Amino acid sequence: METTELLDGKDITVERAGEEDRTLLFKNHLCAVCGLCESICPVSAIETNPTGAMVRTEQDASKIDIDENKCVLCGMCSSICPFQALDLQIDGESIKEIAGYPHIIKSADIDDDECINCKACETACPQDAITITRELPSRAELITGEIDIDKDTCISCGMCEEMCPVDAIELDHQMPTSDNPVVATDINVDTDKCVHCGICKRICPVDAITQVCRICPYGEYEIAEPEITGTSYIDPELCVNCTWCQEICPVDAAKVTKPFEGELNIDSETCQGCETCVMVCPCNVLSFPKSTKAGVNAEKLHKDERFCIYCGACGKSCPVNAIEVKRTKINYTPTKSKAWKKAFESLEN
Amino acid sequence: MAIGLKAYREICHGCGNCVVACPVNSLRSPEVAGGKGPTDDVDIIMIVEDGAVQIKNPDLCGKCGTCMETCPVEAIKLEEL
Repeated sequence: METTELLDGKDITVERAGEEDRTLLFKNHLCAVCGLCESICPVSAIETNPTGAMVRTEQDASKIDIDENKCVLCGMCSSICPFQALDLQIDGESIKEIAGYPHIIKSADIDDDECINCKACETACPQDAITITRELPSRAELITGEIDIDKDTCISCGMCEEMCPVDAIELDHQMPTSDNPVVATDINVDTDKCVHCGICKRICPVDAITQVCRICPYGEYEIAEPEITGTSYIDPELCVNCTWCQEICPVDAAKVTKPFEGELNIDSETCQGCETCVMVCPCNVLSFPKSTKAGVNAEKLHKDERFCIYCGACGKSCPVNAIEVKRTKINYTPTKSKAWKKAFESLEN
Repeated sequence: MAIGLKAYREICHGCGNCVVACPVNSLRSPEVAGGKGPTDDVDIIMIVEDGAVQIKNPDLCGKCGTCMETCPVEAIKLEEL
């Protein structure tokens, strides 16, 4: 049985046909170059290229190299990869879907019943994996009032049109002609846009506008509770289970399970502030705080471990070894295989 | 193919940005950390020699790409060697 390797741009496919067809797929754009696949591979078939160079600079090469002459298509790399960059398929089915194969336990869900569609998670998600689609009511539903322009009194001066903060008033301007000696032929109010602020009425030099807002005198009884509907979507391929959505959600609608536990240590004496780790981190754990005023040194490198999944990409990228990522626990589904257990445990320390 | 540091001396302006931006150089040489070229004989990755960048100790390179980002003329690159 021969193992073949195919390159599609920077994506890699390693295939072996036989009693069962095994295919290992590598998607370059999803890879954070954390090096876990390289570490777990029992036959040293995977080599990761330098993390900083691959993420920070334009490179022609794929982020990892797979030696098809060494690869036995066992699937350990596929099981450990926290970024969905590697996937082993047996007869077309991902081993992540096959119960017999252990896989890391991770999840991210947004409860649409709890979600108030504020989009904080969508904004915060470091991988742009979240889409919140929301429908807001029309402005007219949240306001009540009346507006009328007496077109006979109106002198078409355009002051109301210029002053209207929501561009609800429109005059049909024209150059006067001898057969129609007016500067505008019509004036209209878009009542869907009008918020009944009253500015047009107050600015009008000829008192052509009558306008009442019913909210102030009568209270808000006429206004129904606004109906805001929406749905959330987390792209399972892009999600890295960093918990940004969970932490930033004001109503606890997002729940995330991280695949790994551990600790992240930064030696700020050794750190030279090159920013490689900040750029490499797929979870936006690291940042450079801005100085609050001239002459005051800000913290050199800030971390928030709430968002860290302990993948190790930052540590691997640091050119001066100022970052230590300790992975204390890998959460994975039970397996009887001692080899697989040993492989997972080899990545814990 | 391995990715490593390569200098293009013929297009280099000799500004020294890469020398002082390099975190490895900066850690190894207090003078570089202070923004100057080193005057002592500490081993650093690259220096400006005869008006152009010269790679001296490629083995020290952590391949982070900081030098590439600071070079105004793409005279230093991480690429397949």
